[in-house]
Amino acid sequence: MEIVGERIHIISPRVKNAIAKREKGYVQGLALRQAKAGAHALELNIGPQKKAGPEVMGWVVDTIQEVVDLPLSLDTTNVAAMETGLKRAKKRAIVNSASAAPERLETMPPLAAKYNAKLIALCMGKNILPTAEERINVALEVLMPRILEVGLSMEDVYFDPLILTVSGMQEYALQAVETVRFLKQVSDPPPKTMVGLSNVSNGVPHEGRSLINCTYLVMLMAAGLDAAIADPLDKRLWEFMRIVEERDDSTPVGRLLLRLYDAIASMEELSPDDVDMSDPEQVAIYKTVQILENKVIYADSYLRV
Amino acid sequence: MAEKVEIPVQKWSGRVREVTLGATREEGGTRARTVTLGGETTLPFLHFEGKLSHPPRIAIEIQDKKPEAWSPLLLKAWEGAIDDPAAWAKKAEERGADLILLRLSLDDAQGEENTPEKVKSTVRKVLSATGLPLLVFGPGQVDKDNELLVAVAEEAAGERVVLGVCEDKNYRTIVAAALAHGHLVDSRTPMDVNLAKQLIILIHDMGLPLDRLLMDPSTGALGYGIEYGYSVMERLRLAALQGDTMTQQPILVTPGEEAWRAKEAKVGEGVPEPWGDWEERAIMWETMTTTALIEAGADVVVMRHPESVRLVKEAIDKLWMKGG
Repeated sequence: MEIVGERIHIISPRVKNAIAKREKGYVQGLALRQAKAGAHALELNIGPQKKAGPEVMGWVVDTIQEVVDLPLSLDTTNVAAMETGLKRAKKRAIVNSASAAPERLETMPPLAAKYNAKLIALCMGKNILPTAEERINVALEVLMPRILEVGLSMEDVYFDPLILTVSGMQEYALQAVETVRFLKQVSDPPPKTMVGLSNVSNGVPHEGRSLINCTYLVMLMAAGLDAAIADPLDKRLWEFMRIVEERDDSTPVGRLLLRLYDAIASMEELSPDDVDMSDPEQVAIYKTVQILENKVIYADSYLRV
Repeated sequence: MAEKVEIPVQKWSGRVREVTLGATREEGGTRARTVTLGGETTLPFLHFEGKLSHPPRIAIEIQDKKPEAWSPLLLKAWEGAIDDPAAWAKKAEERGADLILLRLSLDDAQGEENTPEKVKSTVRKVLSATGLPLLVFGPGQVDKDNELLVAVAEEAAGERVVLGVCEDKNYRTIVAAALAHGHLVDSRTPMDVNLAKQLIILIHDMGLPLDRLLMDPSTGALGYGIEYGYSVMERLRLAALQGDTMTQQPILVTPGEEAWRAKEAKVGEGVPEPWGDWEERAIMWETMTTTALIEAGADVVVMRHPESVRLVKEAIDKLWMKGG
């Protein structure tokens, strides 16, 4: 599992302000903390930046490369800004992202090919696609032909099934898991997959986000996920990943997560019998799975019920 | 030749909670009878599939003063009773109400501010005029709702009145008043399943037992968003039947208020001729809105026109007759 550190994101008011004021120290501090926590790459989401896209992207890329030498995932819809970022990146960058929406399908894949970058391909068009089947179709019929057409190698592409928030679009959480599962079966070797993990807990109160993100990650890993844009400063994220990757069944929570992983991997459901209901940590994970599987309606206080 | 058709039967694990409104003398109140809602183990009217303990009930909405903004059709229908909430409640009972919903106003009939004392007197008069269980909703302004509903709770102590409406920005005072004086509350959220469940959790967290809580997910009239309201109610009810405990409350909605806001009901002039007779159309608007919401799972519908009430009652009676 690769983790792309998500923290340099324009939606954070502090990051937005630091970028606007060209505060090197703050941006570099965020980059260093994520690198130290173990991130394999860093996401730089600068937004559309309609006015000064190339200049902003150039500044952010240079600023970060002064202190860390991780690959960068460049996230902007501004094509000129994207190109500037790709020119300045010292390591192979990731273009985030192409989709089946005409403009992004047209512009982003050739840029990735021209600069020998990797590409994230979102399984959506102009609009969100509800079902796994529709998302796969768009990947197979629109995204893949375009990727091959511009000469990108399939192993340099990450398909992103599109993660939606459980706090308002609960019925889509399992559709994304199923999309990953299908994508991993469409070719040999299978294409890679990546998600924007924290999207699943958008709108969820801060203290509840980590458990939802990390539990969902275990489910997505079980379906074959290769990478996630996520919060590397969340210790639980690394702990859950480690448990799954090492198959560490030495703790009750470890055993529960492995049962969850095995259940999803074999297209089954976690059973209440797998859970020690006297252990609050296990109960919290079980309730979170029920929310993610759309068995129980999400409410901000779902853990208290 | 008759084919034998097997009707598929869904077995649900959950059940809607039973909630009883009103209390008789033996139970500490003064109601002639109580009304119990909920208890169903299947979707509306599917008698072959599960247990349906109590039919949907109709609350007729009355106000503590003549509602000048109401349609002239409604004012005409309640003529003679509309200036006096006690007379109005009595007439509503005669016209088939199972429950009376009294809505309080900001000002009294003289245009002076409504006060706890005035409201207490109104509630007392209404309780004396009818033996039906009562729901009392505030005027819809946070401070005034709290002030007046606390007075209602005190005056009607022990009567198991439904106090409303609790919303996420204002529920604590109302719930505390219900707790202190043995009442119930209406938990209202704006057409969203997640918010509906969350407010039930928050109210229950204050210590109010779940058998004193009605879930009010809001709705829209026919032609004005009823499909959103319908879907939310349907989703909540399916969750309840699947065992999602904090969605297992009986559902209250207010189709009367919504339907009479719609142009088709409200306006008699300047509309296309093919729309036909105004009164007939207005009554049908409320009737159709209400029956659709009953099919979506409403346990209490709050209505306004006596003729719509008659039509909806007839529909409920027919649907309630098992296999009939």
